[in-house]
Amino acid sequence: MATADDTSAMARHTRVPWLTLKRRETIEAWLFVSPTLIGFLIFFLGPLIAVVIYSMSEWNLLSGGQVFVGLANYRDALAENPDFWHVIRNSVIFAMGLVPMNMALALILAIALSRPRRGVVFFRTVFFAPVVTSAVAWAIVWKFLLQGEGGTVNQLLALVGVNGPNWLREPDWAMAAVIVTRVIKMVGLNMILYIAALQSIPRDYEEAARLEGATGWQVFRMVTWPLLAPTTLIIMVITTIGSFKVFDHIYLMTGGGPENGTLVLAFYIYEQAFEFFNVGYASALAMIMFVIVLMLTIVQLLLRQRGAT
Amino acid sequence: MRKALKSLTVSTLALSLATGYAMAEDLRFTVWTGNEAHLDMLNGIADGFEAKHPGTTVTFETIPAGDYVQKLTFQLAGGNPPDLGWMFEDSMPTFVAAGAVEPLTDTLENAEAYDLADFSDPAMSLWKEDGEIFGVPFSTSPFMVFYNKDMFDAAGLEDPLTLAEKGEWTLEKFRDVAKALTKPEERFWGFEFKDGQGYDTRIMHAVMPPIRAYGGNGWSNGECGFEKAEAVEAVEMLHQMVFEDKSIVPPGEQGDYFSGSSAMTINQISRASKMPEAGFEWGIAPLPSGPAGEAPVIGQAGLVVFAKSDNKERAKQFIAWMTNKKNVEVMAQFFPPARVSVLESDAFTEANALIPPEQMKHVAAAIKEGEVLPSHERAPQILAAMKPRFDALWRADADVEASLKAICDAIRPQL
Repeated sequence: MATADDTSAMARHTRVPWLTLKRRETIEAWLFVSPTLIGFLIFFLGPLIAVVIYSMSEWNLLSGGQVFVGLANYRDALAENPDFWHVIRNSVIFAMGLVPMNMALALILAIALSRPRRGVVFFRTVFFAPVVTSAVAWAIVWKFLLQGEGGTVNQLLALVGVNGPNWLREPDWAMAAVIVTRVIKMVGLNMILYIAALQSIPRDYEEAARLEGATGWQVFRMVTWPLLAPTTLIIMVITTIGSFKVFDHIYLMTGGGPENGTLVLAFYIYEQAFEFFNVGYASALAMIMFVIVLMLTIVQLLLRQRGAT
Repeated sequence: MRKALKSLTVSTLALSLATGYAMAEDLRFTVWTGNEAHLDMLNGIADGFEAKHPGTTVTFETIPAGDYVQKLTFQLAGGNPPDLGWMFEDSMPTFVAAGAVEPLTDTLENAEAYDLADFSDPAMSLWKEDGEIFGVPFSTSPFMVFYNKDMFDAAGLEDPLTLAEKGEWTLEKFRDVAKALTKPEERFWGFEFKDGQGYDTRIMHAVMPPIRAYGGNGWSNGECGFEKAEAVEAVEMLHQMVFEDKSIVPPGEQGDYFSGSSAMTINQISRASKMPEAGFEWGIAPLPSGPAGEAPVIGQAGLVVFAKSDNKERAKQFIAWMTNKKNVEVMAQFFPPARVSVLESDAFTEANALIPPEQMKHVAAAIKEGEVLPSHERAPQILAAMKPRFDALWRADADVEASLKAICDAIRPQL
């Protein structure tokens, strides 16, 4: 395809003077980016603009009528509907629980598994396997393990004399349970990213520090950790965004319950759009989520820039 | 040249009109069954209609039940509307209120040898609004108690069917046998709510049968009934069964009746298809009666024509065809009928290969007397508002009366 274009372009080049080398390169460049660009316009920018428009309308899918209501949906969410702030609170708790736990565990696993040792490939596979496991299977298995009295987790706890709670039926424990099971499922991905970053740090730095008499902790604190900063930032951004977008896990394990204890933003949007068919209100919520995620990303990038200077 | 162009235009126009006409006769019918026996039967009914109306075709499209309302709504909103389809009872009021379904009264009243009065009043109540019919029930299936006969025999207890025949199948008796059959150390319970989802998606199926047997209701005519004395007593009984007797599979536990972990459950007779592989002797019985007597509960599904259909008249005629007496008899092999004449025939009680006639007799009785669960055009919002408050109720230390009052406070704005 590209070669055909090249040859025809070259053939014309000899005859048509306006097709200069610069122009030709520009056209080629556009051709190369066009598949992605067209996809971006149709499948991302288009829907995004549509959501902005929908968010300013009162639109019940079933009855069909779409009425422009300006910012009423936003006012409804931010100022009038108490559910919204409860949902935001849940989303923040979920993110604050998940992101540090996920990153700390990923880093510890990466440090343990980054050096070539016996069995290291096996353990990397073990920790990465949940990432590629079906979310549905994962949630169903954990629902069984986390049953009140008959659940494996509580039976194990009973062996050491601990009377475990009814994990998925008590709001606070349910939130803890979905966070921890989500961390176990997704930590492998961040572990791989950290392993890649650790392996790209030249050994010379560590050796130099060791020669200066640095302890293991000092090497980590003063050499490894700063050099991991770009990776840490990326991991933090994608994990935070991912945690705000969590849906499947909640849908399958708790359905937002008990007592709305795990009703997070993405699930709330789903409920409004696909169960109540309030497309306008759901679009406004989606825009709010978009802005939150955008702000978080900007803040983290700014922090990173300040850290660099 | 001009002449040729003109004739081309005319013939193109004629062709497009003709194909348009032919397309207008192709009825798209959405269903949530993918079962081949069901589809064969439906296609057989359609064949008869197509023979009567040459040029008309009926195509059945399966949308899985879990996504049905969602995908249907998106097809209707997205400019790709089916002409007619099945409708869940709990979605019906929403569709009627939104003007998404067509009135059928005229067509049914004028259909040849239709006998509209043959449909019992309680069976039609959900499908009517202000005297106008918007849907016709094709399946009217009562909720029955399924029991594990082996377990009752082993414990030396009379089974629910025997008790029902003697007129002793009451809520008190139900509670007694459930408790007697529970073996906590073996993780075996006396009763499991419908499909084990009584605390989540099947809240209404869990609480409504005893509430109705006590003479109460969830809501009616804009008034919340959960906080009234009858409902409080009924739910208190269930609560005690879960947390004191420990005879009902509690929240957060799995105790599947069909795999033999519970002695009884509530379900519709279509679930009997799961029984041959269960590996134990079983039977079905009516719901236990309460202080207000017997209060059978039915679940319905109906046929509707969508307001956005391009072929409304033909679609309405097809509904009249599909629910005439002959075709209702055909459908009765899978879907319990709402036509009294079919219900009373021996053909119906003998139609089910899995359930013996003496048990089907109770099914027929329950269909005639049964009421559907409370419905509402804002049912999804009501259920969503109820859910977290019911979560709070299903705790061992919950104050049942206060929780039910909180439920009413939460749903009242929606009623």
